[in-house]
Amino acid sequence: MSPQHGSQPIQHQFNPYSDNGGTLLGIAGEDFAILASDTRQSVDYSINTRLSHKIKVISPPVTKEMKLESTDIVGTKNSVLFGTNGFSADGDALTKAFEENWKWYVHDQNSNVETGFEFLNENNEEKESFMSMQSAARNVQHLLYGKRFFPYYVHTILAGLDEEGKGCVYSFDPVGSYEREQCRVGGAGASLIMPFLDNQVNFKNQYIPGTNSTERRKIEYLSLDECLKLVKDAFTSVTERHITVGDGLEIFIIDKNGVRSEYHALKKD
Amino acid sequence: MNHDPYSWGRPSDAMYGQYNNAIANAPNTLEHHSSGSNFNENTTRPIVTGTSVIAIKYKTGVVIAADNLASYGSLLRFQGIERLHKVGKTTVVGISGDVSDMQHLLTILDQLEMENNYDNDEYSDNVDELQPSYIFEYLANLMYHRRSKMNPLWNALIVSGVDSKTGKPFLEYVNLLGVKYASPSIATGFGSHLAIPLLRKLADSEEEAAELTLEQAKKGIKDSMKVLFYRDTRSSKNYSLAVIDKDTGIAYDNNVDVEDMSWKFAKDITGYGTQRV
Amino acid sequence: MAGLSFDNHQRNQFLQSQHNVSVKTTSTGTTIVGIKFDNGVVIAADTRSTQGPIVADKNCEKLHRMSPKIWCAGAGTAADTEAVTQLIGSKLELQQLYSKREPRVVSSLQMLKQHLFKYQGHLGAYLIVAGVDPTGAHLFSCQAHGSTDVGYYQSLGSGSLAAMAVLESEFKMNMTKEEAIKLAADAIEAGIWNDLGSGSNVDICVMEIGKDAELLRNYRTPNVREIKEKSYKFARGTTGILRTEIISEVEIDTSV
Repeated sequence: MSPQHGSQPIQHQFNPYSDNGGTLLGIAGEDFAILASDTRQSVDYSINTRLSHKIKVISPPVTKEMKLESTDIVGTKNSVLFGTNGFSADGDALTKAFEENWKWYVHDQNSNVETGFEFLNENNEEKESFMSMQSAARNVQHLLYGKRFFPYYVHTILAGLDEEGKGCVYSFDPVGSYEREQCRVGGAGASLIMPFLDNQVNFKNQYIPGTNSTERRKIEYLSLDECLKLVKDAFTSVTERHITVGDGLEIFIIDKNGVRSEYHALKKD
Repeated sequence: MNHDPYSWGRPSDAMYGQYNNAIANAPNTLEHHSSGSNFNENTTRPIVTGTSVIAIKYKTGVVIAADNLASYGSLLRFQGIERLHKVGKTTVVGISGDVSDMQHLLTILDQLEMENNYDNDEYSDNVDELQPSYIFEYLANLMYHRRSKMNPLWNALIVSGVDSKTGKPFLEYVNLLGVKYASPSIATGFGSHLAIPLLRKLADSEEEAAELTLEQAKKGIKDSMKVLFYRDTRSSKNYSLAVIDKDTGIAYDNNVDVEDMSWKFAKDITGYGTQRV
Repeated sequence: MAGLSFDNHQRNQFLQSQHNVSVKTTSTGTTIVGIKFDNGVVIAADTRSTQGPIVADKNCEKLHRMSPKIWCAGAGTAADTEAVTQLIGSKLELQQLYSKREPRVVSSLQMLKQHLFKYQGHLGAYLIVAGVDPTGAHLFSCQAHGSTDVGYYQSLGSGSLAAMAVLESEFKMNMTKEEAIKLAADAIEAGIWNDLGSGSNVDICVMEIGKDAELLRNYRTPNVREIKEKSYKFARGTTGILRTEIISEVEIDTSV
């Protein structure tokens, strides 16, 4: 073996990461959840593209009946809204890896039990099953932690409906620590928007007038309409003050009718 | 931000690594490497390089261009290097960055095309013919895989073409980090700073690109190549230009020259401040 | 000691070596340009100022007056561009009073470059100097280390390449004032849209021979913020009063 291999460390000045900017935001409501992101992808001081997609709707097939209900449906109520923000190549790779897992999981869940092995399916149910948000989140943790020492450099947020049909948002750090939350912002605008959401969604620092800061304002679920207003205001505001955020806003909304999406233009400067 | 003007508008260090002046003084063989540290040179920094590739979509296709120069540091090394490559029937891949890595990519793309040909005639399975999106997906995976091994192919690639089934123009970018994106106009390296502002004036969205004529797109690319020749020290006057159109296929000219340059005003400029004559 | 002190520079270097922190300066991320036309010269700038990735000021002024007809567009460290143009501006005025002659653009350029060279690039001022004087209209650029350049069109700042791309493709000799203003504004807009360090509005200053210089503040405003979806007015009392203290007004006898 030649001397260049072995004891000597390989010298590299290659940096395998880059920061592609942008912001990702998730809010859970009572019977819906929202996942939104800007559509700019940038590096350093340049804009790569004004229209990139940081959120993937991972969904079982949308049936014709669902399309009849509403034409703009892009996923079923059993979808996982999967958003990543940070180093876009890792974000894409993570999304793809999860999608693969999701497909196999759903396939395995629904595959027919072989004759003679019916006892594995106690009630011999025919009902179609999907991946719960809880399971999806745990799977993402494994994917992220699996690269603990060469991490996916992304902030990940999942949104969907839990097993009771309630809106839920899960957020992850780059190596897989995660939590279910009412709302979360990831990426460049996180430090600008998160305090705003704490105040407007969880009513932090708000007291009932007349109680002299002794009684906190009671937490209540916000309506979808109210949440969408907050999301739009959050993004137009962060566009004003953060240079890597702008161009467009993509919002995905999941509720019992399925997933639909909205697009709004943001400032391009 | 970095206030040093030398770093403004340069291809980012994160993308191309810090410019190393030792390139011009590099020994020809690895044995002469003075420090005694032996490592794979190509993964650490690019050696012989090609500068920008630029491309824009129009109504029925894509126009793409890249000059024919390969630089060795600041040395003008090879003047007849082809950096636009036809793959399959409706795809052109433009490659900037390290030339040896580019040639490695070409052998891989050759194999890809050959394998596809075996399965794509009337005597065989007649599987799908290669589409731009297939080639891009393959290359993007390859690039990300190599960066994840910390052994990147030091290139930025633009895959352009039209889908032969839908007739839709295709244009996407991927670089040595595996970062990929699609846009109505795309450029690598210096082109992303100098050409993109001009191309975005022509079409800033897919809708606007779908209104562009071939003539407008071609003029935009030619004007951009001129500005790049003016302002990018590692560019050359001679370049290749390819048009991939859904109706007329690939039209390809590997000997275009920058035209209508104006240097006349320079005769009136003397000194750098107070000098009058 | 007269002049600037380097104590803070040494302190900053020490702090950086110890804790890897550095003093953050406000920079005018910036696109600035200057263009000569048949009867004068025009300079222009965007109005975004940044601290890292955060926009510090959405409508700052990067066009500085050094004398009534000599103006300067500044990129780089905001404080330095401001201080250095004010300093040289004062010197020009003193010189004018002493010599009883209108200040010249070449004088201001020479003073700027000598000052900047003395500070070996530690003053992060990148300037486009332009103006009209008894010898005609002039356009120069000046880098932080003290090097200068002459030309019919100039661009500087993080958006300089975007602006230069427009200038290189659209500049022509002997333009009219209106053509020059349009080209300058277009070049700045290229920076605004394509460079993340530049944004908001276009400021322009026109200096025409035989006329007063004209500052066209916010000549173009292509980035007006849309109306918010919601009002964020809190009900009175949402923040409680924890403690009240009343300070009574005191009459102060101001008569001597």
